[in-house]
Amino acid sequence: MENFKILEHPADVGFEAYGKTLEEAFENAATALVSLITDPKTIREREGRQIELQAGDYEQLLVRWLSEILYLYDGSRFLTGRANVEVLSRTFLKAKVYGEQCDTNRHPLRLDVKAVTYHQLAILRTPASAGRPLQVTVRVFVDI
Amino acid sequence: MMLKRLDEYRYVIPKSFREGMKVEGLIYANAKLLQAIEKDQTLQQVANVATLPGLVGRSLAMPDAHQGYGFAIGGVAAADIRDGVVSAGGVGFDINCGVRLLSSPFTLNEVRPKLDALLNQMFRDIPCGTGKEGLVGLKIQQLNEVLREGAHWAVRNGYGWEADLEYIEETGRIRSADPDAVSDRAKQRGKDQLGTLGSGNHFAEVQYVAELYDAEAAKAFGLALEQVVVLIHTGSRGLGHQVCTDYLDTMQEAMKKYRISVVDRQLACVPIQSPEGQQYLKAMAAAANFAFCNRQMITHWMRQAFQRVLGSGELRLVYDVAHNIAKEETHKVDGKPHDVLVHRKGATRAFPKGRPEVPAEYAEVGQPVLIPGSMGTCSYVLVGTEKAMEETFGSSCHGAGRAKSRHAAKKEITAEKLIQDLKEKGIHVRGASKSGLTEENPHAYKDVSEVVDVVHGAGIAKKVAKLVPLGVIKG
Repeated sequence: MENFKILEHPADVGFEAYGKTLEEAFENAATALVSLITDPKTIREREGRQIELQAGDYEQLLVRWLSEILYLYDGSRFLTGRANVEVLSRTFLKAKVYGEQCDTNRHPLRLDVKAVTYHQLAILRTPASAGRPLQVTVRVFVDI
Repeated sequence: MMLKRLDEYRYVIPKSFREGMKVEGLIYANAKLLQAIEKDQTLQQVANVATLPGLVGRSLAMPDAHQGYGFAIGGVAAADIRDGVVSAGGVGFDINCGVRLLSSPFTLNEVRPKLDALLNQMFRDIPCGTGKEGLVGLKIQQLNEVLREGAHWAVRNGYGWEADLEYIEETGRIRSADPDAVSDRAKQRGKDQLGTLGSGNHFAEVQYVAELYDAEAAKAFGLALEQVVVLIHTGSRGLGHQVCTDYLDTMQEAMKKYRISVVDRQLACVPIQSPEGQQYLKAMAAAANFAFCNRQMITHWMRQAFQRVLGSGELRLVYDVAHNIAKEETHKVDGKPHDVLVHRKGATRAFPKGRPEVPAEYAEVGQPVLIPGSMGTCSYVLVGTEKAMEETFGSSCHGAGRAKSRHAAKKEITAEKLIQDLKEKGIHVRGASKSGLTEENPHAYKDVSEVVDVVHGAGIAKKVAKLVPLGVIKG
């Protein structure tokens, strides 16, 4: 199954990211976001960045997490190629992200993402059933 | 649908539309535009806004309205200054996204033969496109000055003329701006982006005056038939986006303290008079100043490009308006003056003659209202009216309004075909990205002429001139 899917919105764009765990869904959401900015396959893992965040609930944590990934790019030109969420609770997230500085010769830039929104934000858990493991879906819309 | 038709151009959303509406909603549209508006969540969003504490008058939507985040794009909402709320989402991520019109001393026939050279020069001189950095790297100290002084900083540093400032909303500087209210992150995102057009629907377009509807206002604005003009559409770039992100987050937390609950988290808001509300307004003003400065610097390079190619860079600033902003203003509500905070989310201020905010030269006609159309169609200059003061807190529409998603727009046409089609219409395009061009495919938008006709018909701004594009540069 694919890790994420880009969604339509009359004005902007969103995505759904999937995982067997919430951690995995958050990791895939980071890749989905980066895929709007450039082709994630072109990003080499040359540096790591540690991220620690607190929030009031999972939804706010998700918005803060993705806002952090966006800020790494738009504030310091660091493109996240892979994310590893180490700790995730309702109010706390600890992760390490790997990637490199943006180089327009190698990273085809696609869109300027302005911000991550709460619009139709959702975190859905489909319980495990016969032969099918738990699936977590996160849905996020961004402003472009 | 439970809309109540008032007349040809006005539809009321009654309070019974959804639970918790404190005021009615009012949509400006004709039957055809209303159909487009009903296709997405615009009406729900206008109704959601009507549930916010301290709202006065009505929750409004202009004829270009479409679904946004929390607030509809094309929305106007005024909150009582004492017990109302301010919402970062009610201004939006691109704080002081706006439009600026410059008039040139040239006619259509003088520019047409040199158009390609002019566009090439513009494309070289004005940074545009995704991830493009500005020509002026700023130290944080200088950036703080920009945030405080807006377009005045640009003029002080040689970008443009002193005389420009009078023709900018707020003279290009909102005085309540405080750089300390802007996070280091926002400054980090903005410091290399000053003087850049950006991408998406932002552009700089060379146009000519194709029709005049109001000779007196056109004369006051210095516009004549066949005169070449330039329209610039951009905002506060990453700096404004981060300010909104930061305060949306602050407001999520602070709402609990003030016991405010909202029906959509993107509507997060705080009392205007709370420390968080005041802090946001100072940061918003700083981001707005960044945008005024941004458009001022682009104006300078535009003048240079005209100078090099056509021998004169005497481009006069006609006006510069914000269409994503919140302003403290006094308006009549139920016949009495009322101090309010007007959120304009994809809406333009449209003040009539007689208001002190209108430049002296336009005092007899009113404030120019600039309405950019979608790429390759046309744009309009309108003038503010007394009717707008009575009905819409002195506001009008801001553009064509998107009708289709970017993805759907992209599927419809290739960049090559689009460039060819436009060329056949006599419009030349320089774009930094092919996908950026096709996403802005004019078919993705409503018909701007229809939007403007509704505004004109309803009387919340009056048509002055129609501008037809000759060439455009895009991100």
